[in-house]
Amino acid sequence: MKSAPFAMHQVNSQLEILNLLDQYGEDARIIAGGQTLLPVLAMRVASPDHLIDINKVVELKNISLSDGLLQVGAGVRQAELENWSGLHKAQPLLGMMFPWIAHTPIRNRGTVCGSIAHADPSAELVLALAVLEGSVILVSKKKRRIVKAKDFFVGALQTSRQSNELIEAVQFPICNPEAGFGFSEYGYRHGDFAVVAVAAIKQGDSWTIGFGGIDDVVQTYQCVASSLNEVNQFIDDLAAEVEVREDPTATSGLRRHLMRSLGKRACQQAIDFKSDGIR
Amino acid sequence: MKSHLVKINLNGVEREGLCESRTTLLDFIRHDLGATGTHAGCEHGVCGACTVEVDQQIIRSCLMFACQADGSSVNTVEGIAKSGDMSDLQNAFKKHHALQCGFCTSGFLISADDLLKKNPNPTETEVREGLSGNLCRCTGYVGIVEAVLEVASTRARKIGGEHA
Repeated sequence: MKSAPFAMHQVNSQLEILNLLDQYGEDARIIAGGQTLLPVLAMRVASPDHLIDINKVVELKNISLSDGLLQVGAGVRQAELENWSGLHKAQPLLGMMFPWIAHTPIRNRGTVCGSIAHADPSAELVLALAVLEGSVILVSKKKRRIVKAKDFFVGALQTSRQSNELIEAVQFPICNPEAGFGFSEYGYRHGDFAVVAVAAIKQGDSWTIGFGGIDDVVQTYQCVASSLNEVNQFIDDLAAEVEVREDPTATSGLRRHLMRSLGKRACQQAIDFKSDGIR
Repeated sequence: MKSHLVKINLNGVEREGLCESRTTLLDFIRHDLGATGTHAGCEHGVCGACTVEVDQQIIRSCLMFACQADGSSVNTVEGIAKSGDMSDLQNAFKKHHALQCGFCTSGFLISADDLLKKNPNPTETEVREGLSGNLCRCTGYVGIVEAVLEVASTRARKIGGEHA
């Protein structure tokens, strides 16, 4: 379990990152928390020639609120956002999800943007960005662009990031104070990737429900429902109709069952949600 | 090629060594600095045996490169108690048979220590959740949970006594 040799570039500024990405492109990987990258390197699933370590880049460590957006820089660790005093007011759905993300030692080191960059369709933060309709800020030496979650996640572990681009930050919309949120997940062990995870957002009678783990990308659905029965019916119909992944970890039948049971639990939570913080 | 000079404060002592960029903090501590109390288990971030504290945060030392820890303060199981003594947590592990083969123990001690610092009076569920990142294949966890809960209540009584 040892990585293949590589050159490590420990940089101090965003400009240095962009220059190196421009120079090495596909041959380089960004390392932030490294909580996914190190196992990948150790198992030699990937063996890049260059790693660009962004941990010392102070300008990427910001959490900010502006223009209705919670912006989280590439250097922000999951535990930092989890423990940030403004989180439950700004975006309670994230607060509900954090205890489900791996374990304390992983969240202490892993970054929010790193999870988004990895784009695992079972990951909680990927589900959050998709269901909240957030965005990813990508910068290269020549260009800066903001890509919506639905255009960013293009497949399992696949994103529309170009090899010369850095994920500078991700943006989550700040929650509407009238909205209700619910989150429910099933995994085989505490901290594992979800077999199925469900996030529900209720704004009046409008619902957005996102499912992680059922397909190569998070699937989100919208409906109008004035009662729990109506939204439950919508979930039952979805679970019967949509394409659902089948793999050695779970049959599609189990995943459909989890869509129904976890979906209803998340919707009940969204109805009962109080903005002063249920967890 | 060992091209990175890494200086860390290991359990209060300044240490340094040369390592490759691909050397993990775990291997650096064990092989280059000779502190073998931290154990190499799965080496891909699943088992928690290699848990150490870096700048007051517990992390998996197999999931961090040594060169990234340059300038950091690292605490391992060797730093928990003074030579020859055992900490209250270590004594409680002994008393409650919270270890059998001992391979996972250094990671559990670091995690449990951190848990009790953040939450001095945890419930059983909180202890189980707090230690969920560490795997033990011998004990079934019952003794480990009992040991941590006992230390929490003993420390609380002690503090209560001091205030009385």
